[in-house]
Amino acid sequence: MKKSKLALAGVAALSVVTLAACSNGSSSSSQPTTAVKMPQSYSGSGKIDQNGTIKAAEVNDAPFKGLTDEALISNAEDSDVFGPGLQGLFNTDKNYNYKDGGPANIKLSRAAKTLTITLRSNLKWSDGSPVTAKDVEYAYEVLGNKDSTSQQFSANLEKIKGMTAYHQGKSSTISGIEMPNGEKGKKVVIHYTAVNPSMTHSGNGFVWEYAEPYEHIKNVPIKKLASSSEERKTPLFYGPYKLKKVVEGESTSWVRNPYYWGKKANAKAVTINVVSTSAAASAFKSHKYDFTVGIQGIANSQYPNVKKLSDYTNVGTPQLGYGYLGFMVGHMDSKTGSNVMDKSSKVANKSLRQAMAYAMNTDAVEKKFGNGLGKRATTLIPSGFSQYHDKSAKGYPLNIKKANKLLDDAGYKKKGKWRQTPDGKKLVLHFAAMKSGTTHEQTIQNYLQQWHKIGLDVQLTGGKTMEMNAFYDAIQAPKPPKNVDFFEAAWSTGTEPTPTMYTADAPFNMGHFVSKENTDLINNINNQKAFKDSYRKTQFNKWQEYMNQQAAYVPESETLTWTPVNHRVKNFTYSPAHNNTAWAEYGVTSSNPK
Amino acid sequence: MWKTVLRRVLIMIPEVIVLSVLVFLLAKAMPGDPFTGSIGPHTSAAQIHQLKVQAGLYNPWYQQYWNWVVHLFHGNLGTSFQYQEPVTRIIGERAINTVWLALFTMVLTYAIAIPMGLYAGRHQNHIGDNIIRVYTFVTMAIPPFVILLIALWIFGYVLGWAPTTGSVSATASGTMGTVLSRLQHIILPGLVASLTGTVNIVQYLRSEVIDAKHSDYVRTARSKGVPTTNVFRHHILRNSLLPIAAFAGYSITGLLGGSVVTEMIFSYPGMGLLFLNSISYRDYTVITALVLLYGLLNLLGTLLSDIILTAVDPRVRVQ
Repeated sequence: MKKSKLALAGVAALSVVTLAACSNGSSSSSQPTTAVKMPQSYSGSGKIDQNGTIKAAEVNDAPFKGLTDEALISNAEDSDVFGPGLQGLFNTDKNYNYKDGGPANIKLSRAAKTLTITLRSNLKWSDGSPVTAKDVEYAYEVLGNKDSTSQQFSANLEKIKGMTAYHQGKSSTISGIEMPNGEKGKKVVIHYTAVNPSMTHSGNGFVWEYAEPYEHIKNVPIKKLASSSEERKTPLFYGPYKLKKVVEGESTSWVRNPYYWGKKANAKAVTINVVSTSAAASAFKSHKYDFTVGIQGIANSQYPNVKKLSDYTNVGTPQLGYGYLGFMVGHMDSKTGSNVMDKSSKVANKSLRQAMAYAMNTDAVEKKFGNGLGKRATTLIPSGFSQYHDKSAKGYPLNIKKANKLLDDAGYKKKGKWRQTPDGKKLVLHFAAMKSGTTHEQTIQNYLQQWHKIGLDVQLTGGKTMEMNAFYDAIQAPKPPKNVDFFEAAWSTGTEPTPTMYTADAPFNMGHFVSKENTDLINNINNQKAFKDSYRKTQFNKWQEYMNQQAAYVPESETLTWTPVNHRVKNFTYSPAHNNTAWAEYGVTSSNPK
Repeated sequence: MWKTVLRRVLIMIPEVIVLSVLVFLLAKAMPGDPFTGSIGPHTSAAQIHQLKVQAGLYNPWYQQYWNWVVHLFHGNLGTSFQYQEPVTRIIGERAINTVWLALFTMVLTYAIAIPMGLYAGRHQNHIGDNIIRVYTFVTMAIPPFVILLIALWIFGYVLGWAPTTGSVSATASGTMGTVLSRLQHIILPGLVASLTGTVNIVQYLRSEVIDAKHSDYVRTARSKGVPTTNVFRHHILRNSLLPIAAFAGYSITGLLGGSVVTEMIFSYPGMGLLFLNSISYRDYTVITALVLLYGLLNLLGTLLSDIILTAVDPRVRVQ
């Protein structure tokens, strides 16, 4: 037993040493790219078999939960397996801006501070009943009800007039939601206390993008909706497929929704099975599935096993998220609910943070351990947002020389092996990182090694990577624990990139970085001038540059969402311009995966 | 005998109470809560706080425990935070899957292990015994998850003889179709689990038989001219099976335990995976319900084993 442990440690150490040997101490690349290039779509060839069945895999080690309603779902796997029926109300363009032509259109009025949602006249639930204004309105009731079990209710929704009173139980209706043509009508007008440019982007949090089948669930108390049979056994959808059968936690099967508003779905049926991460690569090797659904597909570590599969093409797109390092530069004042900077923080010195970022070997790490599917992130706006990501940003490429100079200039002099604080005290930095796969352990060891190289005594919090709950307990504490000076985490932005996580009162600004300039820049991104897109883009760029320069949060890595797509599939795409209607467009040309 | 059973059952009551307090406290002592990590671009800290208030997570532990006990006596084990469903319903669904698989595995395990163990013991050092010993050593040396993955790959993916995921096909319809599909789905995981599960029983039984062969009562029987087959059937077999019988109670109650590794590899939603995930997600209501259930089953298993042992071994008489 002891021997095997030593052997494992040896392998890990060897990998790190080899990696370090590959690096030359500096990197010239300014715009990193993933080593692996994948197309965003696979259009396929041949004639679609209208009687075909799409066989998709949901790669996950846990059974899905069986919630069919986006308002109540709090995990990705339920959204994935019920995807063929769950369609958003609004189509988008390639930059996630709302676009007419979907199940509903949406129009913003700056003058009236309203959003008007107009449903298609032929939009129907899978039982043939029409989708009405009440169905749109009721979704807000489900979200905002004081007894609701939904985790989706947000501060943005409270910008709807009357929502706070409804949420607190002081009112039985939401006064700011109007149905001009009555409950059975097709129009909903939502009145806001203020409107901003993010409201024209999908995923903004001010607009709920799904409807609830009011007539179907009106007799179920909202509190009990999640466990009701209406929600779990007989749900209604207005997407291209209707649910035929759900095997709890394992699979869903679908048939064409005869009442679908658009062109009928290209496949006769769809089945989605949960496949374990350990078996996913084998499943595709034996041609069991056409593609994976959702963001989390086959693990990147399994990519070498499926990269050259015959009859499959790997399709991918940048994930709308990134890994980052967060420095504990302050704390959250629990009384005011605002973050406050601490001058006494061990990582309060900007040069120290910048030096640590320059010492990181992220390019090589991503190439080596990410199997070419990841890349170094250069800003806190992911490159997937081509409209707002600053392509000129360099981020923090490896530069040991610069890192040493920054520390020397800031007064962090070496005494023996390690550097001391500018006032001559011992400096030990504690790094909190979450336990993940083997390659992540190696990545963390590599970072430690790099920081040691510039003379910084960095140690893992508790001496090892942390279990998820313990990790979040530590970094979400209003006052950071003494043994956490900085941490590594990941952030998913959603489809609207306003950096809400970094505002002064954001609870997930876990490093507690606050500055007037940061607040101003974030506000500028969504002020009234920002309705002009060039202005908004400039503000996004300024914010990215400012945050990079402050290095309180250092962008670390980005990766791809990807899947092998079988060659019998037609019209597969990750394009945001087709996301909402993608399931209707997918088709297959033969009865089984090739 | 019945007095003893009754006494044992009565003793179980304080044991279960202590167990439930311990389980409840330990679950609460773990870092995090069911909402830890619920972070998204629009997640509202106030909403998460409200959900925690609704769930009573800020109440003192003794108040939470008391509420839980009161609900328990009303047959309500609470609602899962993760699944947003009553815990009894979730456990019920998973228990069915687990019992199907575990029962199949157990029957197969004993059906394979007992003849193998007896044969190996009876024909010690013969070629058959050597083959069985090699089989047991090899199976013991390879971690079960490796065997499961190899079996899944060969029989599931390469040969396509068995389903590779889940407990029933998404397209199975009708009672008969569903039952057949369920059987199909448990064959491969059940077979592999039973092949790895036989090892201990085979080795145990083999050494018991070898020991028994050299015991005085067997020598006496042989010297009296009892045929070898009868010696094995009437003298050795019964005595050799005693240790196996002693574990039978645990095996029966262990049917609900589930197997995390098998369930994960075959994406088979059973009790093992439910328990593991409920711990990871701090789904307190499910954790406490399952630990209590397992505790109860263990206590029952002990009792059952004692009863079985008493029944098969006249020397053991419980007072």
